[in-house]
Amino acid sequence: MKQQAFSTGSITEGIVAFAQFSRSHGLNIGVQETQDALQAASANLITGQQEFKHALKAIFCTSPEEGRLYEQLFILFWETNPTDLRDQKNKRTIQGSVEKKTNNSLVMLGRGKSDQNSVEAKNVSGANETERLKKTDLSKINEMEAEQLEEIARKLFREMAVRLRRRLKESRRNGQINLRRTIRKSIASGGEPLDLYRKARSPKKQRLVVLLDVSGSMDKYSFFLLRFICALRENFRQLEAFVFSTSLIKVSKALQHNRLDLVLAALEAQTNTWSGGTKIGACLQEFSERHGKQILNGSPVVIIMSDGLDTGDISVLGQEMVKLQRKSKRLIWLNPLKGMKGYEPLAAGMKTALPSVNDFKSAHNLESILELENILADA
Amino acid sequence: MQEIKHPSSIIEILEKHHYVADDEFATALFLLLKLQKPLLIEGPPGVGKTEIALVLSQILETKLIRLQCYEGLDINAAVYEWNYQKQLLGIKLQEDSPFSIEEKEKHIFSYEYLLKRPLLQSIMEEEKAPVLLIDELDRSDEEFEAFLLELLSAFQLSIPEIGTIKATHKPYVVLTSNRTRELSDALKRRCLYHWIDYPDMEKEMDIVRKRLPGIEQKLLEQVVSCVQQFRQQKLSKTPGVSETIDWAESLMVLGYREMNAEAFKKTLGSVLKSAEDIDMIRSADFAEFNIAT
Repeated sequence: MKQQAFSTGSITEGIVAFAQFSRSHGLNIGVQETQDALQAASANLITGQQEFKHALKAIFCTSPEEGRLYEQLFILFWETNPTDLRDQKNKRTIQGSVEKKTNNSLVMLGRGKSDQNSVEAKNVSGANETERLKKTDLSKINEMEAEQLEEIARKLFREMAVRLRRRLKESRRNGQINLRRTIRKSIASGGEPLDLYRKARSPKKQRLVVLLDVSGSMDKYSFFLLRFICALRENFRQLEAFVFSTSLIKVSKALQHNRLDLVLAALEAQTNTWSGGTKIGACLQEFSERHGKQILNGSPVVIIMSDGLDTGDISVLGQEMVKLQRKSKRLIWLNPLKGMKGYEPLAAGMKTALPSVNDFKSAHNLESILELENILADA
Repeated sequence: MQEIKHPSSIIEILEKHHYVADDEFATALFLLLKLQKPLLIEGPPGVGKTEIALVLSQILETKLIRLQCYEGLDINAAVYEWNYQKQLLGIKLQEDSPFSIEEKEKHIFSYEYLLKRPLLQSIMEEEKAPVLLIDELDRSDEEFEAFLLELLSAFQLSIPEIGTIKATHKPYVVLTSNRTRELSDALKRRCLYHWIDYPDMEKEMDIVRKRLPGIEQKLLEQVVSCVQQFRQQKLSKTPGVSETIDWAESLMVLGYREMNAEAFKKTLGSVLKSAEDIDMIRSADFAEFNIAT
């Protein structure tokens, strides 16, 4: 239990304790921030209580979300009496504290509980085996193979990310003349610019938005697709990722730290979304209303990964797809079902969405997922 | 400039410059002035993020140096550039001089040939600390953001050919962002932070009145309540305060003393900036917006 205001002797102590208190509840506060707060207080800059609160807010918070958390923490820290404390002791839970790693979250992504070690399984996978696995439909992969496949996938995805990066570098040819270097080098030849140095236009970084369907019907595929999204992040620094089934969750932040387990935990918290069907239209609507204005700014490439089995209102889906297509540079739809023999996009949802889609690709096995590289390379 | 000793006096001074701020914002500005830490302001478009830098420079009676960020903004456009034409001439002129190559090089990479861009300008200001506005930082690339770190924490810039230049007067730095992307933690940690949201009815009326002192009370109420209702709708471009002011102003120019259905339809373009939004609001009945008459 951290100290609270009443147990500290001076304002300095109070501020330091408050900084620790806030840090332990999820605000990102370091020595620098504490120092600033002390400096502000010691210079007699702060007189009233309100000001004190606002001043520390400006110093401690870095986003409106943190601002809201701060308001709670402030009250809790500065305005709690020792007598109130006994009653509340067990009730206090504040969001923002670090979530514990959960392992069982993997269960729901169709990978089964792998507690019982399958040690007997041979770990050798020859080239043929690798090729076979790459072509195997993800939904038909058993648990043991899944581990191997994951290994292969991780390797291939990493290679792909490197390739995409390299391709950008290779294409740096003929640019404008780099006057700065040219002149610097020309000093040696008495001011005659003998060699022309060119300036490559720095590659324009493509922004990427990924929307992944994690509903029950996508179950088997979602885990690998999520991996894939992680790999894409390596190349596309500005990647925003969302998962949806009946509602939409933003997972960019968790992916940023490469914390797949956090993403899975976040998904698990919304278990109820698993039982219901997919409302793609409604989710896209939510996306464009809540995030569209910010994220669709500047025409990013948008990838939707879904089987298109929509249980919601189809007309909403069509409408939203048109909107999305207009605001994105390229709209790519990956459908795992497309890999099945004789698949036709007949499902009402898919049929409605298709006219607005620029690229309609399958994503049923590793190979088909990797093909996306070609689209992204020149996107 | 009078001495600012307390956040509340900032509110008063801002008011004189037709800028309405609340306590929280005033405190943040106060700290910006006293701690000389950069202030990062985020919020939706059109709520007066950029405006505050302008007002601040007026209050401090100092120069405003503005850097508008955009995708692909690089160091040459933001910090410094060499004057190439002059350098070429310089080399030619020195051709017959007895100096060694090193001396010649030193000469053509001296201040004489340096073009100062906003960031360098801001730390080389001789007389008084200027206000440096780095506008819409979220539009720039991440590399540029990383580059800013040196300036924002140490108030110095490095130019390879010359060396490190330290600020003669620490500039007051205001950064704004529309939050189209999350800025890096490293940058945020070097700044104070304030979030400006859309104002409520009363505050917005206050702001418009400050800007357009001649406005009729009735028209003011109608315009502001209308815009407040627009913000509740699902529009593709939510109007900001600057749009409210534009709208009120255009109605005044057209000679309307109060809003009616005709005026409403005619001038909608000055508040809504997207064809879909205009269609949507037009098709809704004018009477649907409870306008105090």
